[in-house]
Amino acid sequence: MDALLLRSLQGYVRDTFGHPAWTAICRRADLNFETFEPMLRYESGMADRVASHAAYTLGRSVDTIWEDMGTYLVTNPGHEGVRRLLRFGGSSFADFLHSLEEMPGRARLAMPDLDLPEFTLNQVSEDCFEIRCRSPIGGMKRVLVGMLTAMADDYGALCLIDGDTDGLIKVRILDSAHATGRRFDLTLPERSE
Amino acid sequence: MMGDTTGLQINIGVAGLVRFMPMHLLLDGGGRVISAGPTLMRVLAGQEVTGARFEDLFEVRAPGSVVLVTDLVQRAGQRFRLVPLHNRRVGLRGLGLRLAGTDMVLLNLSFGIDLIAAVREYALTDADFAATDLAMEMLYLAEANAAVTNELRGLNLRLEGARMLAEEEALTDPLTGLRNRRAADLVLERLCASRAAFGVMHLDLDYFKAVNDTLGHAAGDFVLENVGRILREQVRAEDCAARIGGDEFVIILPGRTDAQVLQTIATRIIARVSEPMEFEGSPCKISGSIGIVRSSDLTAPDAAQVLVASDRALYAAKHAGRGQAVLLSGECG
Repeated sequence: MDALLLRSLQGYVRDTFGHPAWTAICRRADLNFETFEPMLRYESGMADRVASHAAYTLGRSVDTIWEDMGTYLVTNPGHEGVRRLLRFGGSSFADFLHSLEEMPGRARLAMPDLDLPEFTLNQVSEDCFEIRCRSPIGGMKRVLVGMLTAMADDYGALCLIDGDTDGLIKVRILDSAHATGRRFDLTLPERSE
Repeated sequence: MMGDTTGLQINIGVAGLVRFMPMHLLLDGGGRVISAGPTLMRVLAGQEVTGARFEDLFEVRAPGSVVLVTDLVQRAGQRFRLVPLHNRRVGLRGLGLRLAGTDMVLLNLSFGIDLIAAVREYALTDADFAATDLAMEMLYLAEANAAVTNELRGLNLRLEGARMLAEEEALTDPLTGLRNRRAADLVLERLCASRAAFGVMHLDLDYFKAVNDTLGHAAGDFVLENVGRILREQVRAEDCAARIGGDEFVIILPGRTDAQVLQTIATRIIARVSEPMEFEGSPCKISGSIGIVRSSDLTAPDAAQVLVASDRALYAAKHAGRGQAVLLSGECG
């Protein structure tokens, strides 16, 4: 999981702050390389370590960086695959929230050795949810907050998402059809290669 | 466990059928359609479905030689495969049953392996599948798999690039940019193994030690870089110029075995190397001696023999007075 987060962080920083910023972060983190490979393994704890150097270099809090990166993953056209895989979770934002618990299982179908975080969803009332996220990576919860915010937009739902409560993310859906969501076709058009 | 269900009648109703089996087909005793699920209706769109005969809508692909739905359900328990007659690109599979106490036949269909094509063809959505259907999981898996494969392909390409770069570095002398000893050995081995004709020049710099001793290593490096540039200019793309030791160079020239031509090239290299160079205001005066051998003068040579022979020719050149090129022929390595 560290590998995926590091690769995403690399993409986010380069696209948002430019290549020199990423180079500076890698140097500060004492890495002798700048390119993370999503399919390789890195020592655990590395994602949090590099993120703390990113926070210092960019002058932002680690939480903000992880959150923005989560949003970037869903909204950046270069990562359309991420958005699509998440949209398979359900036909509404509430459906999608319910699918979070299944996410590690789904991911394992494609990549058996991917140690995705575990999510537990508790539906408090019709429109209130509490999500607990268990991961060895400290930034994981913030990444999820960023992704949830972007996914709510994607479904056209108006939500309050609060990630500040210890260990919990609280989601309140104010209007599930606030705006027109982005279009989602179950299959991609056939490639004409 | 099932309790005693003998005589139990279950009335699911058409609305229930629609919800539980969005791809069902209910036929009367004559094989005409009474009702079809909404997703199946999308497959059959553009046709009059209600009242149509089964065999006018579908062709049975398996089991073989079955046309009518009555034959189909007689093979109860067997699953069957169909194709819609008006669109044969999307296959269907299913199971059929004669409903107890009636002459009605109920078929339940699914897309099977043609799911992705069907979703694309009929622009199906989540709502077109029963909640129990694994269609969404299959679509998800197909897409996740494609994403993983794509990542792996990218990783392979990047690793291949890094491997080529590392290989190139492993064969290059970093100071002069020429090939190194290992590269020269590989080229010689390849040429010897294929019994190709080639010429080899062994160049040793004269007075290099004096430059190093009096002006320092930086001056020595400067001279070596210069010689590297001269050699690159003097050889063809298919030749291999390598630095194989401190001030020792080897030039391998595939296809060149003409004594006159080799002698001319060697003389030109010596002349260029002997031109005055200046390092930070101090002149560095060097020259070079070259020993030349040709594959045609050696019987079945290997790389080591070629280098021994070229070394002997170099020794002869040094012996003849510096700044000379000597071709040693008629002597078998």
